[in-house]
Amino acid sequence: MGPNGGGKSTLARLSNGLLHADSGRVRVAGLDPAREPYLVRRRVGILFQNPDSGLVAPFVEDDVAFGLENLGAPREEMRERVAEAIRAVGLSGYERREPHTLSGGEKQRVALAGLLAVGPEVLVLDEPTSMLDAAGRREVLERVHALRGNRTVLHLTHHLEEVLDADRVLVLNAGRLVADVAPEWLVSDATLLRENRLVLPTVSRLALGLGLPPAKPRTPEELAAAVGERAERRVGRR
Amino acid sequence: MKIELEDVRHVYAAGTTFEVAALRGVSLAVEPGEVLAVVGGTGSGKTTLVRHLNLLLEPTSGRVLVDGEDARVLRRSELRGRIGLVFQSPEEALFAPNVFEDVAFGPRRMGVGEEEVEKRVQDTLQRLGVAHLADRSPFALSGGEKRRVAIAGVLAMHPEVLVLDEPTAGLDPATRGELLDVVCGVRDEGGTVVIVSHDLDEVAEVADRVCVLECGEVRAFGRAADVFYAEPRYAPATVRTAALVARDYPGVGRPVSFRETLAALRGVLGRETT
Repeated sequence: MGPNGGGKSTLARLSNGLLHADSGRVRVAGLDPAREPYLVRRRVGILFQNPDSGLVAPFVEDDVAFGLENLGAPREEMRERVAEAIRAVGLSGYERREPHTLSGGEKQRVALAGLLAVGPEVLVLDEPTSMLDAAGRREVLERVHALRGNRTVLHLTHHLEEVLDADRVLVLNAGRLVADVAPEWLVSDATLLRENRLVLPTVSRLALGLGLPPAKPRTPEELAAAVGERAERRVGRR
Repeated sequence: MKIELEDVRHVYAAGTTFEVAALRGVSLAVEPGEVLAVVGGTGSGKTTLVRHLNLLLEPTSGRVLVDGEDARVLRRSELRGRIGLVFQSPEEALFAPNVFEDVAFGPRRMGVGEEEVEKRVQDTLQRLGVAHLADRSPFALSGGEKRRVAIAGVLAMHPEVLVLDEPTAGLDPATRGELLDVVCGVRDEGGTVVIVSHDLDEVAEVADRVCVLECGEVRAFGRAADVFYAEPRYAPATVRTAALVARDYPGVGRPVSFRETLAALRGVLGRETT
């Protein structure tokens, strides 16, 4: 996380050799992405922000197969992996759809399937939901969530609610790493948030303003329940 | 300036197999001095709609009226000076060697004198908090800075109506808040703003009225509170919370903005303690 211009996208692009470090070292599984970008890119897949910028083929299944084709995968194996990847993003039945007829959320899931087909150990998501509507955002986040445990996910985002389930949160500001903390820690540190131009989700800010723990209610439903409970307790006490 | 859409239909690629009816008979009015938010899912016609306001797109059928007059009789250059449209990802259109020149392009094209251009550019950059970038190349800025410079380029033309298509997508929350303050500032000075957004929480903070589009048709249109409380699917977190609390505590009312909602919820807790 971190403000615009903090260095998030630069970091993502250093991780698979799209950009090279002026000094210092980048290693991915012991490999230098600047020297061996093709080996590294099999292990690190990046999902970019704009759902329209990454789709290349006339049909969904061809698009998902594109990365594998470039790697020269055998035809049968390719078929299986493409089908599996399309299933993993919940788009079975979309194989022969034309990408330009899909919604933003569906396009991002096609792009994600293209990455998954190659089977990277690390997925880098560079603000994958910032151009999507609420429904599209939910679709993509659900799929990302389901991938946890299988592989490493580096998720770049401005939305604090998207990182509440993360294992660690790194905060980049003006090209420096300024925090490496647990998400609960970040949401309860008002100074750290302010200095890095981060704002709590609306539900958390309402909770905080009502004297409730900000990390606890995550949805309007949970917040309304907490408010109701507290109001009732007070009635009971009286 | 009042802008009215009368039964506007817009069909892309008419007569081909790619034909899509993006607007299917939309009628609405943008009242002078209001902030009107246009919301709806991807593909609902939001962008197509706002591009009709200055006739960048022309209706396949129906009419656009400006102060009661058919917009087609007005000169396009005049129309586009009076109705300033900021595109989605406007930073892609930055082109000049430095920020000052980029922002000066619009007013110069409108025939504004050089002295006035200079003043406008400086004022607008100041207003968007990027005055210190005037001599920099627009290509060497961060995403948030580019976005602000691009919006400055439209604001510097002093449009009567400012139309913003997804102005905050991809910005950090603090920059988003600052941009929304600029939007409110334009309205407070008597300007009119039409803003397209996916972020209902930000719509709750700025909109006087809300238009919900679905599949190219107006699904709901009216004052923000009326629309949000009638259409829970298109309601921000504040309204969704208050609507749930109101089942047991109707005294919470119908707050919309963050401040109103916090005060209303405090009221529920506070009143029960006395």
